[in-house]
Amino acid sequence: MANGVHHRLRVEAEVGALLLEAELEFAAPWTVVFGPSGSGKSSLLKAMCGLLECDEVEFARREGEGWRMLDGLESYRRLLGYAPQQAALFPHMTVRQNVAFATTQRPKGRAAWKQAMEVVDAAMDVFALRELEDRRPDDLSGGESQRVNLARAFVVPGARLMLLDEPFSGVDRRLRDMMLPRMKEWLKELDLAVISVTHDVDEALLLEAEVVRLEGGRVVAQGAAVEVLAEERVRMIAVLGGAAESIPQG
Amino acid sequence: MDFPALGLTLRLAGTTTLVLLLVATPLAAWIAGGSGWLRRMVQAVVALPLVLPPTVLGFYLLVGMAPGTMVGRVLIRVVGHSLAFTFWGLVVGSVVYSLPFAVVPLVTGFSSVNRELRETASVLGAGPLTVFRRIVVPLSGMSFAMAAVLAFAHTVGEFGVVLMIGGDIPGVTRTLSISIFDAVQEANYAGANRMAVWLVAVSFVALLGVYWRGARVQGSGSRG
Repeated sequence: MANGVHHRLRVEAEVGALLLEAELEFAAPWTVVFGPSGSGKSSLLKAMCGLLECDEVEFARREGEGWRMLDGLESYRRLLGYAPQQAALFPHMTVRQNVAFATTQRPKGRAAWKQAMEVVDAAMDVFALRELEDRRPDDLSGGESQRVNLARAFVVPGARLMLLDEPFSGVDRRLRDMMLPRMKEWLKELDLAVISVTHDVDEALLLEAEVVRLEGGRVVAQGAAVEVLAEERVRMIAVLGGAAESIPQG
Repeated sequence: MDFPALGLTLRLAGTTTLVLLLVATPLAAWIAGGSGWLRRMVQAVVALPLVLPPTVLGFYLLVGMAPGTMVGRVLIRVVGHSLAFTFWGLVVGSVVYSLPFAVVPLVTGFSSVNRELRETASVLGAGPLTVFRRIVVPLSGMSFAMAAVLAFAHTVGEFGVVLMIGGDIPGVTRTLSISIFDAVQEANYAGANRMAVWLVAVSFVALLGVYWRGARVQGSGSRG
């Protein structure tokens, strides 16, 4: 998946007062769409999911030497893992049932079911959900819900692309740093590409991903995180420096 | 006390409720699934029994089932007779008459299921039927209970439609409400009262069940 463009998107849509106009090619294993609130980041993901009413949209996936158009397909046929910004957990299911939602739709026979459960177990481990597996969404904190949201997206059978909207919002930083290497390992194993959305500079830099910078519904830059977010990086270092200076010395 | 009429009434209400849930569920899912003019028109037609006098509805159903009509001819070919003045004729009339009492709660229930939950399920690979079965139906449980209870209670109490379609044949089409009417006609007020108490009790228990369950569901938190 890392070699060459794996997905491409062209979209024009009116989202409230915002005119979203973007044309993008995704080549990196992990792409971060970065921008301020209201810049159209989530709408971009929704356009890929087929959840946004667009004036024009063209969304395609590389398949062999050709391209498979996805924009004409219903959402459930696009082979996507999706974690929306609001966790949107199914309230009548336990944590485990939520995570297993996608895998338990069509397993035929005992072997297929067993295999599906193994994938669910692996996701429960990666996102540290074992202790919560019998709880209902009502009993979870924001960070816990978000981890279930992520785990559920990771177990979609046959998924080719993960779309994660503010995936680590509310997740404890220590836990995030612990989960991230295992997530990346899993993605590599399954040859899965990720497009995530964030407004957190630190997160964008941490992921070492390609960054698409979105402002006012338009793409203003695309490239390596350290280049696209150079200004923010300098500002962040200055802030950290200032904070360090303000710490009383010995 | 006219026990055969009571038995017939409960059998009619039970059968009507079952048929109604089967008919109203897909209809309500379709109505709740969009907002086009066709949906609004069907919704208005479904709600007609709420405002039409039952005798008008019964009259058209009776005329519609007559042997001279297309429906009547099909019925005679398939079941051997027109359904008028039979138990199944009453069922058809009751289903039409109580349709809004099943469809409206179901449409409300289906529409109230969070759109984001349905969309997320869909992107995660669930087709429309799976989303309906695994997300919408479980989160609309109270609406199913409400639809069933209202349809049952409404059928127990109906009078005009059953009288028009079924007449007053003891053991075949004479329901409890018709039996009460007959008793009053004969100035048998004590007998009418005994039967009316049954209707009041059945209706009260049904509604109490709905409100009690509703309070429990509300008390147990959000439905997403």
